Amino acid sequence: MMSLRNILTITKFESKVLWRNWFFRIFAILILFFITMFSIAAFSTAGNSRHFITANSWGVTYAQMILLSIGQAAAIIFLATGIIKKDKKVDTNEVFFARPVSNLDYVLGRAFAIFKLFFWLNVIIVVMGLIFNVTNPAMQFNPMTYVAYPLLSSLPSIVFITGFSFLVVTLIRNQPVSIVLLVGISAVIIIYFFDKHGNIFDYMAFRLRMMASDMTGFSGLREILMQRSYYLVTGITFLFATAFFLDRLPSKKTTKYLVGLVTLLFASGSGYLMMNLWQTRLDSMTLRENLIEVNGKWANTPNADIISNYIKLELREDQIVGISELVMTNSTPDQLDRIYFTLNPSLSVSEVRVNNQAVEFGREQHIVSIPVANIAPNANAEVSISYSGTVNEAVAHLEVDQVRYEETEQDFIYAIAKRYAFLQPDYLLLTKDVMWYPDNQIGYSLVAPIKDRNRFIDFQLEVTTAPGQLAISQGEIETAEGGKFKFTPEYPLPQISLAVGNYVKKEIVVDSIAYQVYHYPKNDYFTQHLDQLQDTLSLLIKDLVTSYEHDQKLKYPFKRLQFVEAPVQFAAFNKIYESNQAFVQPEMVFWPEKGGEIRAFDFKRQKRNMDRQAKEENKVLGEREKQANVFNNLVKRVFTKQIGNSWTFDGRDADEPNYAIFPNLYAFNSGIVSQKWSLLNRSISNYLDNQKVAERDFSRNINGISFAEECNELMRESNIMEILTEEKKFSKIQKSVSLKGDYLFGYLGQIVGEEEFKNFIYDWINTNNHQLTSYDQFKVAVLDKFNLEIDPIIQRVYFDTKQPSFEITNNQEYEILDGDRKRYQVIFDVANTGENDGVIAVNFNSKQTSEFSFFRQRDDDDEAPEEAGYLSTVRVGETKRLGFILDAQPENLSINTFVSRNIPSIITLASGTFDVKENARPFEGEEIIVEASSSPQYEVVVDNEDPGFTTFSPIEPTYLRQMIDKIKPSNKKYYGIWRRSYSKWLATTGSAFYGQSIRSAHFTRSGKGEKITKWTPDLEESGFYDLYVYMMGKNQNQFSRRSQNRNYTYQYLIDHGDGEDEINFNISNAERGWNYLGSYYFDAKEGSVVLTDKCEQRTVYADAIKWVKQ
Amino acid sequence: MNIEIKGLSKIYPNGHAAINDVNLEIGSGMFGLLGPNGAGKSSLMRILVTIQNATKGTVTMDGMDINRHRQKIRPLIGYLPQDFTFFSKLKTWEFLNYSAMLATSLKKKERIKEVDRMLDQVGLLDVRERMANKLSGGMKRRLGIAQALIGKPRLLVIDEPTTGLDPEERIRFRNILSDLSQQDVTIILSTHIVGDISSTCHNMAMLHQGQVAFHGAPEGMIAQVENHVWQVTVADDEFHNLKTKFPVISTIPTMGKWETQLIATEKPHEDAKNVAPNLEHAYVFFMENKLGISLV
Repeated sequence: MMSLRNILTITKFESKVLWRNWFFRIFAILILFFITMFSIAAFSTAGNSRHFITANSWGVTYAQMILLSIGQAAAIIFLATGIIKKDKKVDTNEVFFARPVSNLDYVLGRAFAIFKLFFWLNVIIVVMGLIFNVTNPAMQFNPMTYVAYPLLSSLPSIVFITGFSFLVVTLIRNQPVSIVLLVGISAVIIIYFFDKHGNIFDYMAFRLRMMASDMTGFSGLREILMQRSYYLVTGITFLFATAFFLDRLPSKKTTKYLVGLVTLLFASGSGYLMMNLWQTRLDSMTLRENLIEVNGKWANTPNADIISNYIKLELREDQIVGISELVMTNSTPDQLDRIYFTLNPSLSVSEVRVNNQAVEFGREQHIVSIPVANIAPNANAEVSISYSGTVNEAVAHLEVDQVRYEETEQDFIYAIAKRYAFLQPDYLLLTKDVMWYPDNQIGYSLVAPIKDRNRFIDFQLEVTTAPGQLAISQGEIETAEGGKFKFTPEYPLPQISLAVGNYVKKEIVVDSIAYQVYHYPKNDYFTQHLDQLQDTLSLLIKDLVTSYEHDQKLKYPFKRLQFVEAPVQFAAFNKIYESNQAFVQPEMVFWPEKGGEIRAFDFKRQKRNMDRQAKEENKVLGEREKQANVFNNLVKRVFTKQIGNSWTFDGRDADEPNYAIFPNLYAFNSGIVSQKWSLLNRSISNYLDNQKVAERDFSRNINGISFAEECNELMRESNIMEILTEEKKFSKIQKSVSLKGDYLFGYLGQIVGEEEFKNFIYDWINTNNHQLTSYDQFKVAVLDKFNLEIDPIIQRVYFDTKQPSFEITNNQEYEILDGDRKRYQVIFDVANTGENDGVIAVNFNSKQTSEFSFFRQRDDDDEAPEEAGYLSTVRVGETKRLGFILDAQPENLSINTFVSRNIPSIITLASGTFDVKENARPFEGEEIIVEASSSPQYEVVVDNEDPGFTTFSPIEPTYLRQMIDKIKPSNKKYYGIWRRSYSKWLATTGSAFYGQSIRSAHFTRSGKGEKITKWTPDLEESGFYDLYVYMMGKNQNQFSRRSQNRNYTYQYLIDHGDGEDEINFNISNAERGWNYLGSYYFDAKEGSVVLTDKCEQRTVYADAIKWVKQ
Repeated sequence: MNIEIKGLSKIYPNGHAAINDVNLEIGSGMFGLLGPNGAGKSSLMRILVTIQNATKGTVTMDGMDINRHRQKIRPLIGYLPQDFTFFSKLKTWEFLNYSAMLATSLKKKERIKEVDRMLDQVGLLDVRERMANKLSGGMKRRLGIAQALIGKPRLLVIDEPTTGLDPEERIRFRNILSDLSQQDVTIILSTHIVGDISSTCHNMAMLHQGQVAFHGAPEGMIAQVENHVWQVTVADDEFHNLKTKFPVISTIPTMGKWETQLIATEKPHEDAKNVAPNLEHAYVFFMENKLGISLV
């Protein structure tokens, strides 16, 4: 059936033939060139590699294998389909078909020839990676990476695609058709199945989460091995199937059937692997669905509160054995005959004792329910629960929808698994999210909101680890021989967490607070960059703490703050009911392994940038100064968020990791608990957190409207309870909750006075440290202090779907003299034309940020601290005039309309020139305008949102575009400006456009004048009119180096009473706002203005036209 | 090797019968398969070299059924297909070495020696380092025969080997085949070039429309055309007249006239003289008179 000699012979010569094939040579040269260039840029000292790319010792080969994967698959498709060339009448193969060579010999020989070739290509690439590794001192050497990734990534891909190509071409018997089919299938996998279904179909391992950690190695290795084995075995199956179906008479029929049988055996193996793989995914999905359902069953069942929880835990390889001794109290007004706990469903409970008596207990998934002899109100019970087993991570973050839950985490080009807990012999990381100890809080369900716990818990934790390991948790630590640790938190806490590993600890005590950094020994890349701060570190920390506490107006309430390095795979999501991500725990922050992708951890690069900047400014920076700067920058950017970024994505598709320690000041320290308003506590947390958030929502360029505006639309259709229980998209729930919270407290602050209200809450927290207080107490206190009944306000904010709509008009900016002092006056009117009262927040920014600053920003850009926003309530039908007198000339004005009908919901208006206005009356504050000023002249504005605006395009989209549109029809109204259609006009939004509540314009890719837009006014009077067109600014704010000194024009066609005129309007001289186009006579109800797509700029915008009667 | 073909038919899925009820016995030495294009020669050969199945009938080689004993028979066969193309990226000796490794179990040194011997035998030793696809047409055919011979096969099947070769290469090729036929090898030579058969084969068959039209020695076929081959020298108008009536074998312009050889059962012209026939005459006669294919 099979002759090794024959196979090797065929391999030897066929590989020689392939090696001399120009297609392969060109491919090999190109891919090597590409990977070399990439490696020089990413991994070499010459390319000034970024820290986060080189920090992980597994990265270099993984990155190279990812880059190789797609090209390699394509090349193999082209080469492997050459096994049969049916287009030739008789080919060389026939000579060999007549030889005493079996079909299997022939197929395997040719397959091995391909393997051989690509094996050497892989070897060259791996060696290249090795060279970059050893020559870059910033990179650790890890021999395993050079073996693991080629074996895991390349080998199964090569075998699979070779076998698949052989089989397809053998069955179809046509090489070109086979190539088209195979390339098509691969493209579908890359494009359509991208990040879907846990990347099970990703045979190239392009997005398979294989990034390993220097702390814990591979994550989800079982799934990785299963997926890769599936493609390896399937590839082998296809090779045998090719031998079976090969168009050549077999030596013996029995041989043929034997090959067929082996094919079936391999096929069974591959089917088994795929079923297992799929089932593993389904198990996790089903478990999550079940847990949500079970949560729903228990959500409204009364339960006792936990007063204390003494956990004794022992680590046994990849299992934990624990006993949790709890003291419970019945805080309900009724007797309880059952208490229940949540515990990870993979942890089996062996015994439950109540008041020292063993009792029967029930188990439904993660719920452990214990029948108890009646516990009277305010009575206590002692419960002990013994449990052991593993921890199933799928229980974490149940509120996150499946798509986002399964999405691959990505740093650089590395695809990283998302892990929510680690439990392996050499490492452990457990947070409350994976229910590693019994708790009484029921998680996410579709039935009821999660209820806040009524009290914090007095935890104690005893941990027995393997010798040499270090355990980290909350509280004071006592260590004993034999890997025993005992943690006793000084204060009650909402939750505890535990990390165990071969950590090294660094500690400094400042003002009685211990600041501890835990890291893996090999991961200490930072000490060398901060070595000159030893003497000044305590002062630096003191300054940072003082400044942070001053900004937040709250004290850090714990005795220690632990920064614990967590493996690169450790992931977290935003939460609906809590303001913190799992990265932040009481007294603890899990910072990503070696800083992950966070640029502030790249000390070396930052110092280099500082040197460069200093040189430009003819300054000299000392090493100590630079070290202090990078340390400050890290803390302020990452852990205190006193410095924000300029741009961000808005959380629609991904959550920005948040390591800010603010939850320690509020959520882990205090809280106002309401069983009625389950989101209140989280909203307070958001309200109090004075961190700097990103100013610009980058995603409008992609989606046309911001995510907040999408959520505002959702909130017009559903109240918050419906959103919480019916909306499936986690990010929308999370964002809506967040927006409602901002709106609620903005509104409350406005009613009673912003500063007073905030100070009132600060006082409340400072007098209730380390405990939860009830909403009822808070409500009474608010009533006493402000004479305000807040219940109806909360009710209205959460449940009323009517929204305000703001129109900003009459914007005036000028310079005034306040004595000898030059000051800047900004005045505008804001009218609420919506259906509900609303709040706006006004901010001024004196730092220039333009559409292009995203591309120009430097990672060491420092944001100027912002003034707190000015809040104002505008009631339905009301028009207010707001005036501001500023010391510095603002670059722009931003008006946040919170939950409203406005698009954009945050209107950012760039300031113009501030001319001196003599004898102007300074106006600061706000006043209600009874009669809005109206223009003395008759004028008509036709905006692109109006019925008088139409678009026309005779250009047909491409077949591909039509097909995509047909497959994925879109009912989107607005599109991001990065999707510049050549065949039609699309609408987009932005502050720079004209509009009342919706500031939008239409845009298209410029053309030859075929696509047009038309403004048709409904003029009531005939006469001479001045025409104005609304422009964003010079060259419509489109920036390119080429456009600096060029003039661009828009082509307008004016249909007026005396005929038709063409105007080539110079947009390079345009001003922001209305620009004069010309004066014409128009008959009543007649005439129009047309804009064509003819322009030398790449995009043409059509916004609004104004007719002003002379 | 004795080859016995009984009732062999090959009918393709479209219903076309490439060969139909062929019965032949082939012994050692050169055996010629003659026939016009589409006669079924290539199909028969592909069946003989076990790369194609017959629809009906049996083929035995030294008593072994080729369907049941392919594994035993394949090492005994050498095959040179009709439109043989080479790997474009192997050198001459590499290509032969590849064939040698598959066809023999010789050790490396002996194999290389055998490869060089074979290259020498077919006159390609001087170009052993040249890429196979860079060889001339004749050289390629010689390399083809070398690869077919490399395992010392007992049956050599050669399909249209001299098509497109210049006379010198054709003679050289025929000589190689003649030398081989001296050894205990059965050589089946399929061609539509009559001269190749007449100069090399002792036995032959003529196929027409998938059936055996003649089977025997070339002399037997020639005997059938005895007294039917005529030579006459005529003027232009007479030549045209003869051409429309009889199949003309050859014409040589002589002193303003045409010296013409033609096939006719009766004396075609008063000046015509009988000449000694050859296989080409016999082939034309056969086509015209036995198979009813008009060559006029």
